[in-house]
Amino acid sequence: MIQYQKFTLENGLTVIHHFDDATQICALNLLYRVGSRNEDPNKTGFAHLFEHLMFGGSKHVKEFDTELQDAGGESNAFTSNDITNYYVTLPANNIETGFWLDSDRMLSLDFNQKSLDVQKNVVIEEFKERYLNQPYGDIWLKILPLAYQKHPYNWATIGKEIGHIEAADLEQVKEFFFNFYAPNNAVLVVAGNVSLEETKRLVDKWFAPIEKRNTIIVPLANEPKQTEARKEHVYNDVPLDLIVKAYHMGGRLDSDYYACDLLSDILGSGKSARFFNRLVKEKRLFSELDTYISGDADPGLFLIEGKLMKGIDFETAEAAILEEIEFLKNNLISQNELSKVINKTETNICFGDMNVLNRAMKLAFAEFLGDIELVNTEIDHYLAVNPETLQEVAKNMLIEENCSTLYYHAKS
Amino acid sequence: MSLNRNIAPEFHLVDRLYFPKYETRETKNGFKIYSLKAGVQPVVRLDFIFDAGLTHQVKNAEAAFTASMLSEGTAKRNALSLAESLDFFGSYFQTRCNADDAVASLYCLNKHFDNCLPLFLEALIESIFPAKELDIQKKNSLQKLSVNEKKNSYLCRKNFYQNLLGEKHPYAAFSSKEDIGAIDKNSLEDFHKTHYLEGLKYLMLSGCYSAQTLNNIEESMAELPFSKPKENKLIIPDPSSKIGKHFIEKTDSVQSAIRIGKISILRNHEDFRKLQFLNLIFGGYFGSRLMKNIREDKGLTYGIYSVIEPFKEASVWYIDSDMNSKNRENGLTEIYKELNRICTEPIPQEEIDTARNYYLGSFLRSLDGPFSLADRLKTMIDNNLPDSYYPDFVKILNDIEAKDLQNLANKYFDMENIVEMVVGKK
Repeated sequence: MIQYQKFTLENGLTVIHHFDDATQICALNLLYRVGSRNEDPNKTGFAHLFEHLMFGGSKHVKEFDTELQDAGGESNAFTSNDITNYYVTLPANNIETGFWLDSDRMLSLDFNQKSLDVQKNVVIEEFKERYLNQPYGDIWLKILPLAYQKHPYNWATIGKEIGHIEAADLEQVKEFFFNFYAPNNAVLVVAGNVSLEETKRLVDKWFAPIEKRNTIIVPLANEPKQTEARKEHVYNDVPLDLIVKAYHMGGRLDSDYYACDLLSDILGSGKSARFFNRLVKEKRLFSELDTYISGDADPGLFLIEGKLMKGIDFETAEAAILEEIEFLKNNLISQNELSKVINKTETNICFGDMNVLNRAMKLAFAEFLGDIELVNTEIDHYLAVNPETLQEVAKNMLIEENCSTLYYHAKS
Repeated sequence: MSLNRNIAPEFHLVDRLYFPKYETRETKNGFKIYSLKAGVQPVVRLDFIFDAGLTHQVKNAEAAFTASMLSEGTAKRNALSLAESLDFFGSYFQTRCNADDAVASLYCLNKHFDNCLPLFLEALIESIFPAKELDIQKKNSLQKLSVNEKKNSYLCRKNFYQNLLGEKHPYAAFSSKEDIGAIDKNSLEDFHKTHYLEGLKYLMLSGCYSAQTLNNIEESMAELPFSKPKENKLIIPDPSSKIGKHFIEKTDSVQSAIRIGKISILRNHEDFRKLQFLNLIFGGYFGSRLMKNIREDKGLTYGIYSVIEPFKEASVWYIDSDMNSKNRENGLTEIYKELNRICTEPIPQEEIDTARNYYLGSFLRSLDGPFSLADRLKTMIDNNLPDSYYPDFVKILNDIEAKDLQNLANKYFDMENIVEMVVGKK
């Protein structure tokens, strides 16, 4: 059970406090409600580039990291389709340094050209290192535009192309900052060995004076229901053929989310999963075959991804995947198999709650989704899934008309 | 009173580190069980540590295959039935083959521990390495290897170790197609008998376990057919470096992988902790010189770092980065400039203070959570370090001066014996 207190400042900042005196540290997690889905389709990759700029100096602080390190702290951040999340951990008695630094960069960045130029290069190197210079690194860049035609999940967080990052300028940086990096568009979590009273005092001192801003969030286009199978072939210098099948599923708060997550475990998670035993081991069609969900806030994807054994063609491999899916639709999953994946999920939740920073991130994300109690009720949602629901969800979701398939050919 | 945001709030220095208490007991058949209770989540991890690492293998790939095949079937249960049972209780069975040992771990919730323990022990003791499962693993490994060989970072790592330590050195052992092809059931059975059944070093329990769990492990152990490693001295060749610059051309790549380094000192050397600190300043954290200059000032890379890998018989120190091929020469020049600078100029006190404060803070972070504590305890046990090893960092870092660091730099970061490995476009 994760205990917490939640309150909102006059400027609209949501604050969540979680006390834990078993640790000597404190985590400050600041989530901004902006991700790559909020980008202009012609200026993609910007939310993530912006994340880098948040470390390049703010109005009163030249070097964010040095000040933090002086107080024994460490910091990092990540950007997803839905959010940009910053976190700091410090010895608990130095937490005020975190408040100072994070409130200053919420107040205003220093908008310097050099930081922008350097971070553009760093992000371009990141683009190359992760997406272009790795075998199969560009799968995500290929599958998203195939699966999404209207919704901005159409592009990856890193951006559609390097050119978009190269074109970013300071005006765009300012506009983005003042629109999205507002107290009324953020969730602050203070978690660790710091009391509620101290948290209130520090929040009042550092964050309350920041003015509320007029944040405009453009409503996102809904993805129309897919009605036809989509297929794309790619040829590249990789050693093995690879197939990805991406099915549309619900969003993070939709009723089918938990069933989809469990279905992906039944098919593809661990050594007792169906795909591994039947298609990797018995039929020897794949050397790896994984199933996972994207976990996005808006309707996301249920993905199957596998590398084919040398000498196996796409037709045979795909037919075997579809056969397993048919089996799933026509035969009720046993209570035993369902309990197995739920037990595994329970373990994962407990292990995830072990450190205070994870709990802080989890609280922030649940609040962002609009249901903070999820941090404690998640397991109940999984326990409520029964074999009939799983079968129903499989029948509706795992159909070719709802699927985008990427055939990634090894060029020989 | 208005708020002055130009002034940093006061902060406190970490003046003391505690390593939490742990318990040591011995089973009837003479094995130590170290146990470290921490955390509030109802989870446990049980580790068995074996003399079964890269240094113990005669043939390449046999240590790694033996470790990964432990879950592939016993006399009583095939791979699927073992996996189903372990998964049913929501547990994880993991084996890791390291340079100097192998570790088998069971992770689970407290409430399932009694059900999982017999399965875990059965896998460790009664594995039969079925030929069919072995064939599957071999073919899958060959597929994985073919993907790795397309990665510059993999080729760079492999060739760096081989040039630095010598191709025959166990820490430079990378399995080739031929090595994987040559693995057979008999050699795994032999390796299992000699290095697992007759090679158990000790056990470690961590998490929020009950007294009964610990007793249960102790009692179960008394009946089991494990014995301690024989006192045979390992024969490890001395490292023999091909000093200088090495290059592998990959015409189609947009980035080059770079690794530069040399042989360093072992963990029990009196300079080791100070050298770790010097390395932190040089390339060991986000505020390091390499990061600040090459990433944050010049934007030549997404990441660059340096690290000391203290294996038991030899230590390796290296700098690692991926860079755009057109930035590469510029980046290499900067790396060598930084090496020269840390040897020739004293480090400013401010920079030392920032690094020290960060480092001590990072100890507190690593004490959050029972498993990371258990990892530190393992380092202490494996290297015969006293309980004061980590707490003593406070004094060491508070006493260290710029001139000490410069001396260390000249001793351990000098240009002599450096191996440079680059994989990328010409």
